[in-house]
Amino acid sequence: MAKKPTAAKKASPRKQKATAPVHVAVPQDADGVRRLLKDLRDAGKPIEVRMATLQSLGAAAFSVANFDSVNADYIAALREVSTDSHEQLRRRSLGILSRNKDGYAQKALLDGLKNPAKALLPPEKALQLLGNDVHAGAYAAARAIVKKPPNEDAKREALRLLAADSKSEPLFEKVLRDKKEFRENRQLAASALHSLNPDKLQRQARRILKDKSDYADIKATSLTALEQFGDAATLGKDKALFQSVTRFKAASKTSAKYKQTARRFLSKYGQ
Amino acid sequence: MDVALEINNSTDPASQFVTWSPSPCRVRVSNPAGTTTPSVNVTLAGVSAANGGAVQFRSGTSGAFANTLTLSVPTSGATVSFFAAGKFGSPSSSNGDVKIEARVGSTVVGSASLMVRIRKNANQLSNGERDRFVSAFAKLNNQGLGRFTDFNNMHKEPTLSQSHGAPAFLPWHRAYLLDLERELQAIDASVALPYWRFDQAAPKVFTLDFLGASDANGTVHFRNGNPLEFWKTDNTPGISRTPDFPLSQAPPGPMSEADTLALGNQFRTFRRMEGDPHGLAHTSFGGFIQDPRTAAKDPLFFLLHCNVDRLWAKWQRQNGRFDPAAATSFDERPTSDPGHKLDDTMWPWNGITEAADPTRPPTAPGGSLATSACVAAPGLSPRVRDSIDYQGVVDPAANLGFGYDDVQV
Repeated sequence: MAKKPTAAKKASPRKQKATAPVHVAVPQDADGVRRLLKDLRDAGKPIEVRMATLQSLGAAAFSVANFDSVNADYIAALREVSTDSHEQLRRRSLGILSRNKDGYAQKALLDGLKNPAKALLPPEKALQLLGNDVHAGAYAAARAIVKKPPNEDAKREALRLLAADSKSEPLFEKVLRDKKEFRENRQLAASALHSLNPDKLQRQARRILKDKSDYADIKATSLTALEQFGDAATLGKDKALFQSVTRFKAASKTSAKYKQTARRFLSKYGQ
Repeated sequence: MDVALEINNSTDPASQFVTWSPSPCRVRVSNPAGTTTPSVNVTLAGVSAANGGAVQFRSGTSGAFANTLTLSVPTSGATVSFFAAGKFGSPSSSNGDVKIEARVGSTVVGSASLMVRIRKNANQLSNGERDRFVSAFAKLNNQGLGRFTDFNNMHKEPTLSQSHGAPAFLPWHRAYLLDLERELQAIDASVALPYWRFDQAAPKVFTLDFLGASDANGTVHFRNGNPLEFWKTDNTPGISRTPDFPLSQAPPGPMSEADTLALGNQFRTFRRMEGDPHGLAHTSFGGFIQDPRTAAKDPLFFLLHCNVDRLWAKWQRQNGRFDPAAATSFDERPTSDPGHKLDDTMWPWNGITEAADPTRPPTAPGGSLATSACVAAPGLSPRVRDSIDYQGVVDPAANLGFGYDDVQV
């Protein structure tokens, strides 16, 4: 077995300049994984070591031949540390668990949304992680947060989660049309609406582009939607749309990047 | 008189691409008007646009390449073969930015525009290259409805035993990237998959205009107008990615390139790079890219793996490991599961599912591997061995039609 060149790594000048990261070697086999799981669980070890251990365990999940044989232990350890006092460890372990569609993690995250005093993570992170499994039954919690958001990030993540929910189509149409809404939420609404009802998004995008009072960034999003995924036959007939896009491209206040987006659109549709 | 040039023995626009490997080409007199002799001397030379690619030539299957080549071409219309290749260090940046000009004396009698299409460092792409790549990738995704869905499904449970933790890790991912790259090229032929050098800082990659910038919550943001703003996988829009390192630096965990190339001169030791640097590059982030089951939901996955493949390519060149028949080029074990032995076909391109072989996954998404108008290899159902001689060093017919900007033939 070739020796891992750890000495060379430690001597690297780049590593010395960095903020002295903790290095934990990636285990080569199931026994090595089990040893690292012990370290991960050990609350007496410095958090930097436990985070580096988690990073190496994650790498082993890619490379260890029979990782399946230790997967149950891995999941159990992740569940255990998901309630750790260190938020970064809770975030990372709940992240791994939720991407593995782990029911325990989903329940803990949902419970936290319903009862913030017991929450393991902030609502925006919990919603983002619940989005890893659209069957997690989180739609009701997400709708409640859209109605009464604790912060804007939470509202955005709730909207993202609802993007797969066909019942939320009217909500996304409303958000997209609302000029007072955060632009990022409108961007997200455009994306969601495009998959829930592509025709509706095309109509809304054309309306936004023709509206002189709407914002340049959401116009750029609308242009991209039409340029990338639009119906050429419908768009080709819409002379008013081309006039609006030409005006948008020529306007001095339009940024160079957005002008480029407009040029791409006009070039694609032969104007 | 006029001559016609065929790149990769074809005039199909999709064939007008070369790499550092020799591409078979032909020239023939297409209009003999004005000729009085049975043959004419035609001189071929590359003409590059500003910042364009550069090509070189040779007449046969061996020997040195030169900037010009003079061939005796019959005026009867019969073809004469030659080979063209990109000049190492001078890749193209756009389609048709180099042409082969044919002259008789000082008169131009024909030309063909082409591209030296090479995989480059993502952090060094021009804005045009970056935008074309991003646009093609977004179209492949088509908001979660496009062909990208197959690529996402090819790298999830219960398929991971086909591609991870076993000898075919590198060959399988080489085929996977090639399949994806060819699909991107079907959308925009000028696109080559770029690589993320995870042992170097790549501040231009994690930007609003390229692969997106992450906020504190790990949500990736794009500038309005970046087509990746419509990225969607598994019915959920967006990408989750939290870097654990300052983006002005390289991630501190993964092994350096020099250390990786020093993992030994036998494939069986080199393939340990699956854990470090490959695995640690994945786990330098939180979010999709961190987990085997979700990593392919993030476009970054393909740039990360392109670098893993590039490291293998560099190691192959350093140690001359292109011959699939050599024991040092692969880790052949009689006990390996199907899909991990040299002559095995690889899932999912072979279409073999659990019903026929219990070691294979229940479905085979995506069908056979995408074909190329430039090269014939690796065929619709590649074997593990077909990934090894990727430049056609041992067998020119094995050339897979891609190359890296810093890996010579």
